[in-house]
This record gives sequence, structure tokens and C-alpha cells, in this order.
Amino acid sequence: MTILDAQNDLPAFRQAIRDWLAEVVPPDWKARMARADNDEFIAFQRWWMAERSKVGLAIPHWPVEYGGAGLTLRHLIVIADEMARADAPQARMFTISLIHLPGTLFPHGTEAQKRRYLAGVAKGDVWCQGFSEPNSGSDLASLRTRAVRDGDHYVINGQKIWSSYSMYADRCILLTRTDPDAQKHRGITYFIMDMRSPGVEVRPIRQANGRSEFGEMFLTNVRIPAEDMIGRENNGWRVAQATLASERGVIAFEGAERQRYEVETFYRKALESDAAWLHDDQLRREFMSFLAEMQAGRRLLRRVLAESETPEASASVLPSIVKLSATVLRQRICSFMTRIAGVEGQEFAMLAEEPFGSPMFDFLSAFSGTIAGGTNEIQRNIVAERGLGMPRI
Amino acid sequence: MTTIEATASVDQATLDALREGVAGVLAEQSGSTAVHAFIDGKNTLDRELWSQAASLGWLGCGIPEQYGGLGLGCHGLAILHTELGRQAAPGPYIPTLSAAQVIAEHGAEAVRTAWLPRIASGEISAAVPTNPDAAALTRSGSGVSGTLRCLGAPDAAFVLAPAGDTWVIVELAGAEVNAVPMWDRTRQVIDIRMQNAKPAAFLENSETLIQAMALAVAADSCGAARSVTDRTIAYMKTREQFGQPIAGFQALKHRAADLATKLAVMDETLAHAVHRTATNEPDADIWASLAKAEVTEAFVFIATDCVQLHGGVGFTWDYDPQIFLKRARLNEVLVMPNPALRDRAAAGLAAATRAGHSALELGL
Ligand SMILES: Cc1cc2nc3c(=O)[nH]c(=O)nc-3n(C[C@H](O)[C@H](O)[C@H](O)COP(=O)(O)OP(=O)(O)OC[C@H]3O[C@@H](n4cnc5c(N)ncnc54)[C@H](O)[C@@H]3O)c2cc1C
Repeated sequence: MTILDAQNDLPAFRQAIRDWLAEVVPPDWKARMARADNDEFIAFQRWWMAERSKVGLAIPHWPVEYGGAGLTLRHLIVIADEMARADAPQARMFTISLIHLPGTLFPHGTEAQKRRYLAGVAKGDVWCQGFSEPNSGSDLASLRTRAVRDGDHYVINGQKIWSSYSMYADRCILLTRTDPDAQKHRGITYFIMDMRSPGVEVRPIRQANGRSEFGEMFLTNVRIPAEDMIGRENNGWRVAQATLASERGVIAFEGAERQRYEVETFYRKALESDAAWLHDDQLRREFMSFLAEMQAGRRLLRRVLAESETPEASASVLPSIVKLSATVLRQRICSFMTRIAGVEGQEFAMLAEEPFGSPMFDFLSAFSGTIAGGTNEIQRNIVAERGLGMPRI
Repeated sequence: MTTIEATASVDQATLDALREGVAGVLAEQSGSTAVHAFIDGKNTLDRELWSQAASLGWLGCGIPEQYGGLGLGCHGLAILHTELGRQAAPGPYIPTLSAAQVIAEHGAEAVRTAWLPRIASGEISAAVPTNPDAAALTRSGSGVSGTLRCLGAPDAAFVLAPAGDTWVIVELAGAEVNAVPMWDRTRQVIDIRMQNAKPAAFLENSETLIQAMALAVAADSCGAARSVTDRTIAYMKTREQFGQPIAGFQALKHRAADLATKLAVMDETLAHAVHRTATNEPDADIWASLAKAEVTEAFVFIATDCVQLHGGVGFTWDYDPQIFLKRARLNEVLVMPNPALRDRAAAGLAAATRAGHSALELGL
């Protein structure tokens, strides 16, 4: 019986996933990835996506007509929980492919776009997001990358930045300016760009944590067929709202479930080795305090996911509230781990095997949560203005 | 906002109806003006609310039906305490309903029939030590003696307190009871002195008193913290400085957003503890202890910020924030000191982990 065959029996579904993970996840994958170069990382990510695909878990939440399994939220929670429990690899390179692309195409894509592009995701197409520019970050709508119509194509010139995994991407969801004279939100057009087009040049950017997961993109006379426009010309801002909203807690949810097991394993080992911090009143109490917040956060994320399937979702600021609490909690946890690791924790090490085996790496990486996808300050603006009705001045 | 979800024992519609009913009555009767008048001794709001609560069945909300209650367990109690906190309502709800909870769970049949119907009907209220683990009566022969600082009204019918290695119910009719003036005037604290008093009943295990009080105080704090935040944001939208509502200043908006985030976390922290308690999970005490510690500290933070966000009027007796700040400071130190509650939870976590159990299941 395959995993999907068991979908009507949740405990059996869970067991099937657990059995499959026990079989397929290489026990040493983290150690391998800690030393991996880019090619090995990509090969590994592709292999993992292919394995998921084989058992129908590449895109389990999509409608069946687009190659998904049409599973419910309850199933997704079980999948995330089992992946976290098994400490299985994450499909990080496929984040845009799995979440932002469908989140954009389902509401705004043409039928032809959906058929053509969504089918590629289960086969391992990597997508990246070309939104931010050097001078347009939080003020995304001020973006300046130009798109000019030329027959049945648009010609693109400009620069994008911080685009995660753009170095490995096959395609890009791209925001451009088509009407420089219009009010800034009204002159934006949304495209699908083939990353192999002439004129696309990507350079990796090295991050504070030592890795190079994002890059900058230089676009020189890149030609995009008009049929690869999503939505109408100058209507890209509206389409982009769907992209930005698509995450709706999914990434944070998976992260929180993983963190639960990380923290639990960390604690169990501390207990077994009678770690010194357990006898330090202040540190032990600090740990208990973030444990409580961790549980609250996991519950909140379940609420966001449940809400995401309701009509109220679009007006809700719960995703912003959850982003604020989850990302700051992550920093608190990593900060705690860094402090108790002492000088040893300051030894240079990237992703290490143990949970929090390289606390400084985790601590530094945690900033991606508070900055990417709209900084926490922008989330606070959203909560205050849209959630609490405080005036925008 | 409902984050307390139903479990097998209680259905969601009943809980929602309870919340709506309680919230409606309290909004009407325990509004800002009434509470201010009460703390200035100009009305008897506490008594009026108590008789309303009795006639509407609230006092029996955690008491099983066969003893005259509604049988809504810790869900119902959490909702009731949250709403009472929201309106800073005065009255001995926390001691009385927590004592009832202990009697319902650990009292012998005769003890339950003796006390629970009288609590549910509003005929009597109860007192419990403000810090049960630090208070104890001494036993000699068949009598108990000592001094207890309790949460409760001066006319409380009985006190539930530890005495040696057991717990006792002692009627207060003949005891010396002195009301203690408190900063938080929405609460009553009394000192009880007794000399060789004869307990009306003995209870074997009353550790649940700490758990019940922890949940009650946490729930009160959740409702109260949300309320003082709502009131503060409403004020910020009307107060103008520099030609604009102060709610438009980004520095203040960001603080308000942080308060909203804290509130969301507080609600879930409480809901998790209630859920684990309602489903009788062995880790329930861990989460109740942590909920009280986390949520009351967050309430103090929020109430403090709300005073500051009001400016000068926040420092006055006549505005609401000070009422909540005082309630927050009392809540923070009730039951057990928060560091001790975290240690209690840590001990529970260590025991569960050593026994090979995860204490981190959500059960959702
Ligand atoms: C790990 C990572 C991955 C990313 N991946 C992608 C990607 O794949 N594709 C993509 O397009 N982008 C990506 N980004 C970019 C990300 O969306 C931007 O970094 C983010 O929106 C902030 O923009 P900025 O960096 O220009 O900072 P700025 O906007 O310059 O902000 C600087 C500081 O000012 C604050 N600030 C700015 N405006 C306001 C305001 N109105 N009120 C209060 N404070 C304000 C910010 O909060 C911040 O603290 C990624 C970023 C990171 C860190």
C-alpha cells in the first residue's frame, strides 16, 4: 500500500509516512550537507524532491488536476510532523516552487500557465522570486526594473537582489515596472522569466552565516514572451499580494514542528549528560519560559493554517502576528543555545549534526526569519494598521 | 476570540454561549464607571455581580451537574475567569471556584454534597491561601491552628488549606478574620487566625488547588490584559498631539503591535494548559504552572506599557490602566512565585522525559 492509498485512515497514513522516512532518509545527511559544495547541495535537493515525488508527497496539497494529491490540512500537519520527527531534509530550494508559485498561479494564472508551469514543479523545477531590488526592499512598490513591450515580447532591464536559490533556478517570478509615470502601485507588471534567457546573469551573495543561498540578478535586455505575464499589464501589484500572502504560515509551521523536536532532543541529551545549565536557576527557568512560548506558537500556527482555508484569511493579520512571535522566539532560543555553548560555541562551524550543534550558525541564520518576506518592522506596521486600526500617517 | 477549544467532555456551542452570556452581562454591569465607583466604596458591585453569577449558574460552571453545577469543567472556568478579568470584576471567584474544583475532584461524596451545591447556588464563598505551598496550619490532635493569608471575602464560609500532610476544610464562623487593605481593590485578601479549630473535612490530595488557581489566575490575566490593551488603543486613537492622533506615531504603533502579539501568545499558552488539563494529560500540571508564570508576567508588562501609553492620565486614579496594573501585580505573585512555578514545571518535565514520555504533544 502506498502512502496516498492510506489517506482515508489518518493513523495508517502517519505510519506509512514514518515507515517510508525510516527507509529513505540517509542518517548522515546533515553531516554530508554541512560539508557539501553547491553542486552536492543541488544534487541532494533534487534527489530529495524526486523521492518525495515517487510516493506522491512532492506537492501533496495541490488539487489533483494539477498533479497534486488534494490532501487536507490535517494530512499536511501529519506530513510536517513526521518529517520533523524523522529530521528529514527540507525542500528549501523548492520553497518558491512549492508555495509562492501555486499561491500566485491558482488565483491569477491562465489555465495554460497553470498546466504548463505547475506540472514542472513535481518534476523538480526550481523557481526563484525576483521581487527585491537594491533600492526597493521594504518599499517594494518603488521597484524600478523596467519592462518595455516590443511586439509580442517584453524587454527587461534592471537588477534584482536577495533572490534565494536564484543561482540554481529554472524560472523566476518577476516584478517589473511597465508604467514609470503611474502612481507606484499602479505601474507594476508580473512575469514568469526563464532563467536561461540571454541577458540573465546571477551572482551569489555570501551571507553572514557563511553560506550563499541568495544571489543578485542582473537583467540586460531579457526578452519575455507576453504570454508569460501573470495578470494584466500594470496590475502586478495585486498579483504580488497573492504571492506575499501565499506563505500564510506554512514555512513557519514546518519550522516550528522541527524546532519542537530539536528542542526536545536537545533537552533529553542535556538531562542524560546532566548538563550544567540545568542546575543554573536562571538558565533553566529561561528554558522553561521559551518552552511555553514554543507550544503557544505551535498552536497559533495551526490556527493560521486552519484560517487560511476560510474567507476571513485575506483580512487577517494573524500571519503577521505569528511571524513576529515565531521569528523572535527562534532568536531567543538560538541566543540561549549560543550562550550556554560558551567559547566552544564560537568555534567556526556551519550546519552541524546535533540539534543546535552549531548554535552560532543557527543564531545567525535566524535573522532570515526576521528580515525575509517582509521585515518584522513591516509586520508591526501591518498588525497596527490593518489589525488594530491605527491610522496611517 | 475563542482559543479555548472543546474536548470530548464539552461541546463548542455550549462554551461559546457561556462566553457570550458572561461577557454580555459583565460589559453591562461591570463597566469602567461601576468598577471605579466600587473601588471608591460607592457601590456594592461585588455583591450584585455575585448574585447575578449565582442566578445565571456561573458559580457552578466547573461543578458537576449532580452537585448543582453546569459541568463545564476547566474550560468553563477558564472562560468565566477570562471574562471576569476583562472587566476587572470584583468578587471572590478565584478562591471559591478553585476550592470547588478541588472538592469536586478529591472530596469524599459527603464532602461534595455538603459544599458544592451551596457554592453553585451562590449561598457561600470560600477562601484559599494566596500561596498554598507556603502556608500551612499545624495539627494537634483533632484540631488545626495557625494564621493564613487568604484570597477570599471576609464573610467566606470556609477555608481550604494545607495542614501537615493533609488538607482541611475549616468553617470560618468562629474564626478571627481580618480584611487586608490591598492595592488591588477589586480583590479581597483576608488574614485568618484559628486556634484548635475542628476541620469540617479532610482531603487527601489537594495539589490540584495549585493547578486550579494557576489556571484561574492565568485566565483572569488573559482577559484583563486584552482589555487594558483594547482600552489603551481606543484612547490612542482619540488623543491628539502634534496635530494628529497619537495612534499614528510609528513608535507607538510598533509597541501596540508587540502587545497584540504578546496577547495572542498568552491566549494560546492558557488554551494549551486548559486543553491538557481537560483531557487529563499527565503533563497538565507542567503547562498550568508555566501558563500562570508566563501569562501573569506578560500581563504586568502589558499593563505597565498601557499606563505609559496613556501619558499623564495613565498616572491618575480616575483612568482604567491603574486598576489593571494593580490586578496584574497581584496576579503575578499569587499561587506561587513565578520562578518556583517554572522550577515546578522543570521538575515535571525532567520526570516525564526520564520516563520516556514527551511532554510536548499538543493533542490537537
Ligand atoms: C534570507 C533572505 C532571503 C530573501 N529571499 C528573497 C527572495 O527570494 N526574493 C526577494 O525578492 N527578496 C528576498 N529577500 C529580501 C527581503 O524581502 C528584503 O530583505 C526585505 O523585504 C527588507 O528589505 P531591505 O533588505 O531592502 O531592507 P530595508 O527595507 O532597507 O530595511 C532596513 C531597515 O529599515 C526598516 N524599515 C524599512 N521601512 C520601514 C518602515 N516603513 N517602517 C519601519 N521600519 C522600516 C526595516 O524593517 C529594516 O530594519 C530575502 C531576504 C533575506 C534576508
